[in-house]
Amino acid sequence: MDLKLSDEQSMIKKVAADFLKAEAPSYVITEWFQEKRAFIPELYKKTAELGWLGMMLPDEYGGGSASCTDCAAVFEELGHGPLPGPYFSSGVLAAEIILAGSSPAQKKTLLPEICNGRSVVIPALSDDPIQWGPRSVQTRLTKTVTGFVLNGIKRFVYDGDAATSFICAARTETGGVVLALVDRNAPGVSVKPVLGFMIGAAEVRFDDVAITADNFVGDWGVVERALIKALPILCAYKVGACQEIFEMTNEYTCTRVVFGQPIGRFQRVQDHCVDISIHLDGARWITYETLWKIDSGIEAAANVHQAKAVASEAYYQSCNFSHMVFAGPGTDYKHPLMAHSVAAHTLYQYLGTPLYHKRAMVDALYPRQSSAA
Amino acid sequence: MDFSLQPDTPEISAFRKEVREWLAENMRGSEPLRWSARWSTRENDEEYQFRRQLANKLGQKRWLFPTYPPQYGGAGLTLDHQFVLETEIDRYGLPLGSIFYTLARLVAPAVLKFGTEEQKLEFLPPMLRGELAVWQVLTEPQGGSDVANCLTKAIRDGDDYVVNGQKIMVGHHLPPDYVWTLVCTNPAGKRHENLGWLYIPANLPGITVQHLHLMMGIKNAVFFDNVRVPAKYLVGGENNGWKVANSYLELEHGGGGSVSENPLFKRLIAHCQKADFDGKSLMEDQDVRDVLADMLIDLDVQRLMGLRNFWHRYVRDPHPYGGPQFLYFQRMVRLRNSERVQQILGFDALAPDGSVHEEADFEYTVRSGPGWLHGGGTLDTDRLIIARRLGLGRPSQETAPTTV
Repeated sequence: MDLKLSDEQSMIKKVAADFLKAEAPSYVITEWFQEKRAFIPELYKKTAELGWLGMMLPDEYGGGSASCTDCAAVFEELGHGPLPGPYFSSGVLAAEIILAGSSPAQKKTLLPEICNGRSVVIPALSDDPIQWGPRSVQTRLTKTVTGFVLNGIKRFVYDGDAATSFICAARTETGGVVLALVDRNAPGVSVKPVLGFMIGAAEVRFDDVAITADNFVGDWGVVERALIKALPILCAYKVGACQEIFEMTNEYTCTRVVFGQPIGRFQRVQDHCVDISIHLDGARWITYETLWKIDSGIEAAANVHQAKAVASEAYYQSCNFSHMVFAGPGTDYKHPLMAHSVAAHTLYQYLGTPLYHKRAMVDALYPRQSSAA
Repeated sequence: MDFSLQPDTPEISAFRKEVREWLAENMRGSEPLRWSARWSTRENDEEYQFRRQLANKLGQKRWLFPTYPPQYGGAGLTLDHQFVLETEIDRYGLPLGSIFYTLARLVAPAVLKFGTEEQKLEFLPPMLRGELAVWQVLTEPQGGSDVANCLTKAIRDGDDYVVNGQKIMVGHHLPPDYVWTLVCTNPAGKRHENLGWLYIPANLPGITVQHLHLMMGIKNAVFFDNVRVPAKYLVGGENNGWKVANSYLELEHGGGGSVSENPLFKRLIAHCQKADFDGKSLMEDQDVRDVLADMLIDLDVQRLMGLRNFWHRYVRDPHPYGGPQFLYFQRMVRLRNSERVQQILGFDALAPDGSVHEEADFEYTVRSGPGWLHGGGTLDTDRLIIARRLGLGRPSQETAPTTV
């Protein structure tokens, strides 16, 4: 048993923390959130130079052959920001989908471009915003004389506006789900940012978009295989975010004086900090154990769903408890808590809500007998 | 990171084999027994005798306190060995720390850390051999979780301390051999600077024990009426009791960590798979599955917090707030599980089942929700300690004491 990061992982983590401090300090990130700027191309290029895009991909495709825990160490620091941008959606999730589902030729052309940051490949999976998972895929793939066409509207595609291409999930005429690579500039593709209490979402329309057979990168099973390695990285990002909220909230209880004393002396206020600690540490250790299982080759499907549920809930609740402590000032879009609050709500929905993943966790552990009925 | 519970080296593997064989031999005869919980409403003599004899045998092997120095009755083994013992005996559903109803597991570390050489040589060996039932006798009627508000007086008179006062909510159904007590050694002294610890033989004249029948089982009131306690039983020095208390309570407050498995969830799943409702097993019901999901997450977080604390103790780097955080979270999980079990089982959740270990019993689970909200302080004192360790509203943070 050894519950600390290796020296090398601690070093990677420190590099990421220093990078964030220098390139994207909290007040800058808060500004980006205010302006709804979810993609900063110059910064994205720098992270490519640091090897953070496609970090877990094999060397031969331009990746760093990093373990999940190595990669999580970086993303935990990015979560402190919370740094917006397609670092996860393209650099982790799309990379893992292509690695799991593409032909060797596709991998050779696509993956190095993801790693060097020239391609930003964004998964556009669900159509129905209420649900997530294969059942919510409604975009249709229809056969034509020369190939196929795609038709449908993906209403909330995370990091959609940063895309150079999409991995679009579509339903075939026989009812299956396939994944198709679509160039952002292909005729019939349109992207419109969705504004609101969220960051980075865009509506992506596919109107009679022509597809050829070499655009396919697999079926829904490929997404599920990719998510096993990808989701815990997103969870680590949320753990870092919770840690940041925990620290800034605790500090505020020492400096903010009301009724003649620091508010940290009020037990009601202390309780909020205690609740953040529970959410933070729950998310941290569930995530870490999941990372360890994956890196050790231990079956972790249920753990991955559990981690996603716990970390999403933790980030969301940590923001809420922090809002209880910061009160009015914390609701100012210029306050760092607001960036977190917006990110937490977005990531609560992204790739399935806690309820979805809790159910998937139980289904993975105790499959339903009546599923056939 | 490595979360695996069995990092066995060849030496440790050999030790595990030895322990497993020894337990197979010495647990024989326990098969029909259904362990009661540490405080219990269903203790029986047969079980008690078995556990007490087991403690004796483990004590003679020096496995009850394996890491303690040999001169005091320990085996001088490493935490790796202790880990083997804890996990192996856990396979029988018993935690090493409460083989029989004694709190020596909390008292011995304090004596080891704060006792004089003479005291260690005299007090520790019988405790470590598992021969003694030792009670922790702290709570007073007026003080409750304010432990420092201690009115039981111990006034020096010649070679003795004369003890007068009352403690409450302590012990269990069978009498102790020793009581480990916080006393006020200087009634005129300042708070926190007026306390001392006495390790008192329970058979001294003037000590009366009275049963209290409580939600979680039998506890007691203990009365001291002019009890003359020889001065050699004062541990940690006169008026130095608060320092001893601080280090000592960290263990009780979750700082020791935990590596044991919770038997409840597995049993609940088995029940849901068997129970039929409306022609379908309960396990097929989405509402039931949702309740089980929340319960599993709570129990996994609790397990991991316990593991984290165990590891921090293991590498001798106490977690700043992990001890009280674990304890607080565990109380809240028990409370939530109390309702969850009722939601799933209906009235059956209120009927005890004597055919299983008490920790896995649904009725015990329901009761221990509200019943374990206190014990070793309350959930509010847990949160108070966390807040101090975090330094909320304070110029500095209190540090976690090292445990033994």
